[in-house]
Amino acid sequence: MNEISSDKIASSLFSEWHGKVNLIYADRQKTTQLIHNLATAPLKVQKPFYPEGTDICHSVILHTAGGMVGGDRLSFDVQLQPNAKALITTAAASKIYRSNGLQAQQNIQIKVDSDAYLEWLTQENIIFNGANYRQDLRVELAPKATWLGWEITRFGRSARGEKFITGEWRSYTEIWREGKPLWIDRQWLPAGEEIINSPHGLAGQPIVASLVWVGEKVSPEIVEKARELWQNQPTFSSKGEAGVTQITEGLLCRYRGASSAEVKHWFKGVWHLLRLCFCDRPSCPPRVWQ
Amino acid sequence: MMNNLNLLRLLQITNTALPVGAYSYSEGLESLVEAHVIYDQTTLKHWLEQELGYGAIKIEAAIMLRGYRATEIGDLEALDYWNNWAKAARETAELREQSWQMGYALRRLLEKLEPELSKEFNSLSQEVSFAIAFGIIAAHWEIDPSAATLGYLHSWATNLISASIRLIPLGQTIGQQLLSKLHSPIVETSSKILALTDDNLSSCGWGLALASMAHEIQYSRLFRS
Repeated sequence: MNEISSDKIASSLFSEWHGKVNLIYADRQKTTQLIHNLATAPLKVQKPFYPEGTDICHSVILHTAGGMVGGDRLSFDVQLQPNAKALITTAAASKIYRSNGLQAQQNIQIKVDSDAYLEWLTQENIIFNGANYRQDLRVELAPKATWLGWEITRFGRSARGEKFITGEWRSYTEIWREGKPLWIDRQWLPAGEEIINSPHGLAGQPIVASLVWVGEKVSPEIVEKARELWQNQPTFSSKGEAGVTQITEGLLCRYRGASSAEVKHWFKGVWHLLRLCFCDRPSCPPRVWQ
Repeated sequence: MMNNLNLLRLLQITNTALPVGAYSYSEGLESLVEAHVIYDQTTLKHWLEQELGYGAIKIEAAIMLRGYRATEIGDLEALDYWNNWAKAARETAELREQSWQMGYALRRLLEKLEPELSKEFNSLSQEVSFAIAFGIIAAHWEIDPSAATLGYLHSWATNLISASIRLIPLGQTIGQQLLSKLHSPIVETSSKILALTDDNLSSCGWGLALASMAHEIQYSRLFRS
């Protein structure tokens, strides 16, 4: 009895959030409907909207507390039933604050059924110095299902000169189809001067980002076009490094630099290119990004 | 511990004369030299140390060990699982090609040397990666797992140093001095790999991924990765 009450006191003292989002999308006569929508504090899901026709449902997830502290756990469970199409984004950048000693964890489980297509285009994560964060994103694709995801991460509030000197960051992304891994990307950054300055690590840059598209084999021409979009784009405050490569059933873009505007501009261009090549329609940036 | 026969087998499998074409890959070093990120012994040593401490080679060696253990206990399902994992975790198309080409060459060789290993190779649902092929033969030849890991990392370091000797260029003696300096980080990494849990198979991959992606479009090059 005593143990239970002291546990309760401890959890209320730390006021850890265990927020959950559970979304199920289904195709109903060429309209993608959100047939199940559950969100618990601090997470909220805005009402679905259809800025580009009824077949693609746009959803915006909102973190009402603005960021995560040590001990917080957020879980996302998203399913797209056959033929459903959805774009999911976040209302604002996510902040991961300095840790109180505990890890902040975000767990994302996504299931995309046959001929369904999910775009997971979240806004940037800002990892404060001293943060201890782990994200697990696992996608299960059915045959002929397609996935596009991007992740933009800023280490330290670089505008005020903060660097990621203490703490730890892990972001594990895995995409599987019928029991086989299509893409495994397990990034780990134990904070410290050497790794953030090394050309092997962050090379002194605060931002890293990845865009991955998985569904079918991508031709060398499309890879080349994605590279050209980088080479030909306007100059922002600074020029980072970027590259594109084929993965077994898709395409991967990586960025390391100092300008989130720069990487967002490029990623939006690649997204538009992939939409035109594989979906026969242009991209439709959500208003919440403006 | 290892007997004399095990030691000789380890030397055979880690020798640069092993015909798997390791000398034709630089794992991104060619583009790093072109970009003047690596230009001398110090910058090369730093890169190789970071790769050992936080990079993809640590994961590769850990997958080699998983292939070793699966072979040892005859778990063909686990062998296939880790072979698929190795392929999905490679940073770029070029690095994936390297692993397949070297894996294919080693498989062809072993089919001649140790025909009974065809059971292991035929159980795989896709091309064998080099790390898994190495793990299969190390287990079959009963090389101690710790020695196999040290040998795997040593042969990786030797190949990249000899690529750098041609690229930077560096003198042969400097190359050997550098290899000696890497012995202690190799020992340290090897003991970490032996204790690494599946959940900790992670790396800091930005530098290698960008270098390899840059190599894929490098205009003039000697190496295939």
